[in-house]
Amino acid sequence: MLEVTGLKKSFDGRQILDRVDLTVDKGDVLAVLGPSGGGKTTLLRCLNYLERADEGHMTFRGQSMDMPGLSRKEIAAYRRHTAFVFQSYNLFSNKTALQNVTEGLLIPRKMSKAEARDRAMAALEKVGLADRGDAYPSQLSGGQQQRVAIARAVAVQPDVIFLDEPTSALDPELIGGVLDVIRALAEDGMTMVIVTHEVTFARHVSTRVLFMDQGKALAAAPTAAFFEEQTSERIQSFLRSLDRKDG
Amino acid sequence: MSERLADILISSFPRILGQGVMVTIPLTVISFALALVIAVLCAMIQIADIRGLKQLVRFYIWIVRGTPLLVQLYLVYFGLPDIGLMLPAFPCAVAVFALNEGAYCAETVRAAIEAVPKGQMEAGYCVGMSYTQIMRRIVLPQAFRTAFPPLSNSLISMVKDTSLAANITVMEMFMATQRVVGRTYEALALYMEVAVIYLFFCTVITKLQALGEKKLNAMNGGNVIRA
Repeated sequence: MLEVTGLKKSFDGRQILDRVDLTVDKGDVLAVLGPSGGGKTTLLRCLNYLERADEGHMTFRGQSMDMPGLSRKEIAAYRRHTAFVFQSYNLFSNKTALQNVTEGLLIPRKMSKAEARDRAMAALEKVGLADRGDAYPSQLSGGQQQRVAIARAVAVQPDVIFLDEPTSALDPELIGGVLDVIRALAEDGMTMVIVTHEVTFARHVSTRVLFMDQGKALAAAPTAAFFEEQTSERIQSFLRSLDRKDG
Repeated sequence: MSERLADILISSFPRILGQGVMVTIPLTVISFALALVIAVLCAMIQIADIRGLKQLVRFYIWIVRGTPLLVQLYLVYFGLPDIGLMLPAFPCAVAVFALNEGAYCAETVRAAIEAVPKGQMEAGYCVGMSYTQIMRRIVLPQAFRTAFPPLSNSLISMVKDTSLAANITVMEMFMATQRVVGRTYEALALYMEVAVIYLFFCTVITKLQALGEKKLNAMNGGNVIRA
């Protein structure tokens, strides 16, 4: 459903992404793993055009797109089929939790108020926050904010959700709640690309793994094969270092 | 206090306050409202980086901030007639105050918009909103909360700056006081009287500011100001 080839991006002459390819099929949960500074977040931001790729080709829903040359209008049209969950939530701070979810339905998608409200409430219900719809972001914990952000993403019924380290900014005791919500989405068949450091989670929830290091996709494989038949010394040592941290 | 002085103070009070209500307050309110429009426009032009216009805005702000308000008043009221542009005193004062304050407030508004985290814009884009929609619904309301205290500051300054309009024959509070002083020679008492009225006006604005901030905080879930 989403296929990217030859994605390149550099900042100030520093190559951050170097000819990255990836494929996401409908229902896939693609976990993007790898050490910090490896280009994972930049990759995800390029996928939603928050950063403009220098080179690269994208095929989405059968439509072929030249990533650097896409017009503003085409990007807007593309984004109506995607959703993004940020590491730092980025909820609209002047809107309540419910309004955060309805905003994308009312304004760009011109849905009626009643319909938007119903759909938003259903989304908040899904993340276990139906009773906090009137709360402002500042009145919610980090974990709750991130769950509202996930509800905001789900409510627009996207073809794919991009999640950028959704639990990295959270206190350890709040991580579980957010991961549970993402796991439930995966079980519902939601297509997701998720940048994460939660290797155990990736192992259990993702269907495929993309391993990024120094701007290159070192490996792309189905999850079971990635973890069980890993031959790359670089990746093995990375996974071992995380195991130590977990233990 | 002598009986004569008390009489002068009492009889001049409604006269001075009257000019305050009839001239100083309208002059301030109209000029400030226009200044806000100018400020938001100039800030938006700079933020949106509209070529050509942005340079024009920077030039305007440079000129206005780099020259004294009194000189600007003289230029427009006494200077422009030389090239055939003659404005009555009150509209002339409004124009100068609005343009002057507009330049300062433009910087306040620009700073407030720039202080809204970039992630708010990105999140707006990601739910499918356009630049204009995000600005109007997400960024500007948040920026307004940030800009509100410094803008109140500007308003308070402007109340007092309107006394400069006396120099171009606008019969506002200060000029009314000068007239009474000219007649009675009670400078100390009368200038204190008018100072107290200015202080009262500014106190009212200060109270309104506090109320406004409270309201704006409630609209943001109290997230901006936190002890």
